[in-house]
Amino acid sequence: MKAFLKICVAHLSKPRVPSLYLLGALVLSLSLPAAAVRAALPPAPKLSHTLTKLKTPVPAPDFTLKNMDDKPQSLSDYRGKVVMLNFWASWCPPCRHEMPSMESIFQDMGKQGFVVLAVNQFEDSDHVFAYMGQLSVFPTFPILFDHKGKVSQMYGVKGLPTTLLIDKQGRVVYRAVGGRDFDHPAVRKLVRELLKK
Amino acid sequence: MVCTEKLGLRSEFSYYAFMKSSGLRIVNFVLLSALTLVQVAPVNADVQTFTDNNSGLLSWKAQHPGFSLQFIQLLPDYVRAVYSARGLPKKVVELMASYCIFGTIIKNESDQPLSYRVANWRYVTQDGQSHPVKTKTQWLKEWRGMGVAFRFSLLPDDQIFAPGDWSQGFTTLPLPPDTPVALHYSWTLKGKKHEGVFKNLRCAPVKAPRS
Repeated sequence: MKAFLKICVAHLSKPRVPSLYLLGALVLSLSLPAAAVRAALPPAPKLSHTLTKLKTPVPAPDFTLKNMDDKPQSLSDYRGKVVMLNFWASWCPPCRHEMPSMESIFQDMGKQGFVVLAVNQFEDSDHVFAYMGQLSVFPTFPILFDHKGKVSQMYGVKGLPTTLLIDKQGRVVYRAVGGRDFDHPAVRKLVRELLKK
Repeated sequence: MVCTEKLGLRSEFSYYAFMKSSGLRIVNFVLLSALTLVQVAPVNADVQTFTDNNSGLLSWKAQHPGFSLQFIQLLPDYVRAVYSARGLPKKVVELMASYCIFGTIIKNESDQPLSYRVANWRYVTQDGQSHPVKTKTQWLKEWRGMGVAFRFSLLPDDQIFAPGDWSQGFTTLPLPPDTPVALHYSWTLKGKKHEGVFKNLRCAPVKAPRS
């Protein structure tokens, strides 16, 4: 657990400071029985797997951002695939929490025409690369850098993480605000259905 | 830009745009006035207080049917670390650290859409005075004046949560460390406005009780 806590605060400039990141990570990682007053920590919220279907699919605006190798990538490069578009940052505890589930579903369904695009907010590639090395699973899906938050603004993202599912026709069809367990069978089923269309 | 309202991420704004453009401002005014006059009694939430074993810092969680809200004490030094690590100017870092900041987690645990609006929230100081909570929009305006484009970390002003949606961010109060304060919050579920109150919040001290 100590090692885990060190990882949680490693990216902060003052790592000894008790942090929301630390608290948030603890909230998300520990599972304590609900106690009465003055328990040690709030019970850990389990990530849900529900995604909200949009009543009317909306064309996903195209964008071009640089990846970890400083090469430009556009959303339109992935037309014909089902895209999970995830907005995140390294300091965001639920972003960290859900990332392994994104990697897992990408590993299993990537060859079937499914891709995850993780659009980082306001951070640089050096910082993110160091952060990735601290995760239990190193993400293999593309990480893109939205340094000025223009793409997240274009998509109306208010909080992190926010995730959108884009169908093969380039339309946003599902959304989720807050962390999710994307490795859940219900999400896989949903992606499979989108791959068939 | 076009798709944001359709995505449901900014649907509140589309309502106002509609009201403005369709000449219904008077109706809007009357409706809003009526809503203001309707007093919604705060409900007694199941509020639990927690103490972090490592730091001794406190957090509070209010559990309502279908809705939960959590406030977590944050040390001024932690706030400095967060904003310094984002590369924000020292002036902004110190300004933020001078505020009493709570990490806030807000969740829709119902099977219906749920919304909240920070502009409707109030904090009450020891002298009994009620004050509006500073919103993210107000902060961003201030930050822009200081040349800062960073948009995240603060609790979004208003959101419409689908079932399962949740969010987190900072709630900021211009109070010194270790100050007791009450916070009145509200949310709307199934078209009905609800209110609750944290009666015994306390701003984080300057140093962690256990360090």
